Amino acid sequence: MEALIRPEIGLMFWTITCFALLVLLLAKTAWKPLLQAVDERERALKHDRHSAETARAEAEKARAELDAKLAGLKTEIGRRMEEARVSAEKEKDVIIEEARKSAGMIVESAKREIDSQKIEAVREIRDKVAELSIMVAERILINKLDHKANTDLSSRYLAEIEKDRPELKLEN
Amino acid sequence: MGLKEILEHHIVDHIWSWVNLGPLRLPISKHLLMMGIASVILVLGLPLLIRSRSRALAPFRAMIEIIVLFLRDEVVVPNLGHKGAAYMGYFSSLFFFILTLNLLGLVPYGATATGNLAVTAGLALTTFALVNFAGIREQGIFGYFGHIVPKGVPGWLYPLLFPIELIGLVTKTFALCIRLFANMIAGHIVILAFISFIFIFGSLSAIVGFGVAPISVGLVLFTLMLELFVAFLQAYVFVFLTAIFTGAAMHPH
Repeated sequence: MEALIRPEIGLMFWTITCFALLVLLLAKTAWKPLLQAVDERERALKHDRHSAETARAEAEKARAELDAKLAGLKTEIGRRMEEARVSAEKEKDVIIEEARKSAGMIVESAKREIDSQKIEAVREIRDKVAELSIMVAERILINKLDHKANTDLSSRYLAEIEKDRPELKLEN
Repeated sequence: MGLKEILEHHIVDHIWSWVNLGPLRLPISKHLLMMGIASVILVLGLPLLIRSRSRALAPFRAMIEIIVLFLRDEVVVPNLGHKGAAYMGYFSSLFFFILTLNLLGLVPYGATATGNLAVTAGLALTTFALVNFAGIREQGIFGYFGHIVPKGVPGWLYPLLFPIELIGLVTKTFALCIRLFANMIAGHIVILAFISFIFIFGSLSAIVGFGVAPISVGLVLFTLMLELFVAFLQAYVFVFLTAIFTGAAMHPH
């Protein structure tokens, strides 16, 4: 068993030689390309992250700008709406005023028309009434005409007149 | 055949032949073969996996990437600071090398190279070298050894603390070496002991042996799962402690 704990110097030499060669070879052929690839990937990742971050910052800035623009548009829209409302109110008032005025005018002219029509009608009625009454009176008079009574009446009236005005007496 | 032979057969390295290189006598052994297999898997497999654009391999690529990124973000950079990225190649290779060796030890006919004191000592020595290299590179040679004693220590304690801290550097490395080694062989020894129970009870009577077998196999399966977990855990611990020691050498606070 002492072979187990007695280091063989020759094998130690082999080990060191073998390992030193391995380090030299692998450092060139394996670890250098591996670490280069890893470095490249890490750099690419860093670059990607950086560009993503700048893109996000830009997007955020753009959003803030859009928000500001939107807020401006909202106030603008509110202002325009208010303006439109005020002008519509004014317009309404004007239209109502005009309507009222023209309605007043129409009523006035209608009144005038009615008055003139009324006057005309009244005149016509009066004329007709007068004519009718005259005609009725005529008929009545014609009916009442009694020759004898009229002769008497006229004699009486003549006597009265002669008495009042003797100079007009025919029998002189 | 006693338990000793079985243990030695399964845990201790098998040296097939020797190569002489100057003053060094180098063994050609099973653990060296395992290191070779692990190296081939890593050197061929990882670059192919990482460079491939195939959809089927994407999950494996992602797994490797997750581990490397975890090492970078949770282990290396917090301990070493941002200059630590330059050492990522070392720490990733260390983690995958130890992990592959640990896992190869769980493959049938495989052997756990990290269960060999020489291998863990070799790895610990590279850590020791890295710690001192990084510390000297970061602070200069005088700054490094000047800061080896913590701040706020009375002047007269310096002669005492300086050698202690120097020894501390070595003991940290030594602890790393022993920790990995012990963790890796412990599981194997436990598994071998559980399997041996079957034969120990079987030598009493065949019926008892068959009775014990299901319990033993269940326990072995459980221990194997534990070993699988420990394979990942110890690779992580080794890398994590290396990072802590290196960080402490680079930034003495």
